[in-house]
Amino acid sequence: MRRFIRFPVDMFVKSPFKPLYEHAKKAGEAVKKLEEIVQAFCDADTDRVDKLCGEISAIEHKADKIKQSIRENLPPSMLLPVNRQDFLAFLKPQDSIPDSAEDIAGLMTLRSSYNLPPDIKEDLIQIIKETIKTIDEYEKLMDEISRVIKTSFRTDEVEKALAGISAVEQIEHGIDKMGLKLGRKIFSIEEEIGAVGVYHLSEIVKKIGEVSDYAARAADMLRVMLSK
Amino acid sequence: MLTILGLSILSIVGLIGAFYMAWNIGANDLANSMGDVVGAKVLNLKQVCIIGGIMNFLGVVFFGSRVTKTVGKGIVRTDLMMELDPHMAVLGAISALFAAGIWVSFATYKQLPVSTSHSMVGSMLGFGIAAASMGIIGFDDIGWTVLMKVAASWVLSPIAGMVLAFLIFNLIRHTFINRIKDTVKLEKLFGPLLIGSSCYQAFSFGSNDVANAIGPVPIILGMGNLEIPLWLLAFGGIGIVIGLSTWGYKVIYTIGEKITELTPTRGFSADVACATTVIICSSYGMPVSTTHVLVGCTIGVGLARGLEAVNLNVIRGIVYSWLVTVPISMVIAFTIYIGLVWLGI
Repeated sequence: MRRFIRFPVDMFVKSPFKPLYEHAKKAGEAVKKLEEIVQAFCDADTDRVDKLCGEISAIEHKADKIKQSIRENLPPSMLLPVNRQDFLAFLKPQDSIPDSAEDIAGLMTLRSSYNLPPDIKEDLIQIIKETIKTIDEYEKLMDEISRVIKTSFRTDEVEKALAGISAVEQIEHGIDKMGLKLGRKIFSIEEEIGAVGVYHLSEIVKKIGEVSDYAARAADMLRVMLSK
Repeated sequence: MLTILGLSILSIVGLIGAFYMAWNIGANDLANSMGDVVGAKVLNLKQVCIIGGIMNFLGVVFFGSRVTKTVGKGIVRTDLMMELDPHMAVLGAISALFAAGIWVSFATYKQLPVSTSHSMVGSMLGFGIAAASMGIIGFDDIGWTVLMKVAASWVLSPIAGMVLAFLIFNLIRHTFINRIKDTVKLEKLFGPLLIGSSCYQAFSFGSNDVANAIGPVPIILGMGNLEIPLWLLAFGGIGIVIGLSTWGYKVIYTIGEKITELTPTRGFSADVACATTVIICSSYGMPVSTTHVLVGCTIGVGLARGLEAVNLNVIRGIVYSWLVTVPISMVIAFTIYIGLVWLGI
């Protein structure tokens, strides 16, 4: 039966915010898997590294699909409570989070963990734990953003969200320092692990740093979205 | 001439046309005013139909005559025509009613956001142009000034509604949303207010839309002074209520399901802005599109960051339907009228 309706109900479209939160969740999932894969890498358990790499890749793929559907369903005619360009600009760094997680996992499959000194292993696990903390904080921030949108930018929710942004940035700053320290350590053990080992490990550390970088960058974009 | 219950066959045909337009208004336009109440689950479908029907009827009876006058004798000098050639006036009025009815039915079937007001005004204009080209009246006897005002009101009313809704929602944010932190409690508080605002809206819709059904009827019934008796308004009101109860309830249900985002605070803002705009238009006798005003108000709430997503494509659809409705209904009315005359009716 055709609907005998004149009112343009099509003006009420699905909110792009729900898939946005979903996408953030996928990003978090991918990053949280990194702790296991770093552990397996340190244990030189190549089978497990390969398996986890596949899992992270699958999560990244799902995140990609969500990102695509968000973009597809956001034509220029869409009126959002935030600037549409800001919204899309925000989606980009958030999408780089699972991308980086996938890259890290991929790097770990390239070469098995040649006898790494135990304190390097410890530092690797430590920096991943901190990265996961950033992501936890980031996910909390996204929950807060969902409340900001739901309450049409109620002042107290906006303030809480702004505090959440700073929290993410704070942890990210700490990770930057950890990464630099770890990098120095890696270069100092060239004789033990060889130049290729140094290269491989420093690539991994660089990529790990990117995860929280992107989270902080996305958080900073939220500041732009909230300020209007 | 053959008569039934003292009415000529032509009068009966005219009344059927008017009833059909009223049915259309009840089946669609009135339903638009109540969708949010069902969507927010403040009242159930049956309760909404009853209060919407009553409020609309009251709007029709107490406030419907001004717009009715504009439609009936503002667009074409039908009062003059009734003195010159009453039979031709009756034929023209019937043509206009059926032209509007045909176009509205077709467009609704095609799901175009057309307006009964635009259709009726276009049809009356088609009737006027046909009468003038047959030399019954002069082209000067078409109310060009009134038409310009009406056209201006079609553009201005959705914009005014949008601005008003924007302001009202911002006011509600400052006075309620920022103060009452418990969202559930806040929306509960606005539940009864949403009922009130929807009633206000149904009342305003009645005051404006009924003209599109009964505007030409005084001509058809040969009421010399073209005053609108209360019983005639009531006739339109009853037609609208029948439209609501035989079809409009489905529309309310469908719209209600689609607009769950219009929570009581948002719905209230859109309703009050829409009803106020429409009532003001009614008091100036301007037949506006209640649907277009409501779309404008919804966009206003969206601009005030009240909605998570609104597709502004709808504006294109509205402008498009506006541009096609007037000429098409005009041509249909013109053709029916000339046809009736040619047939010697």
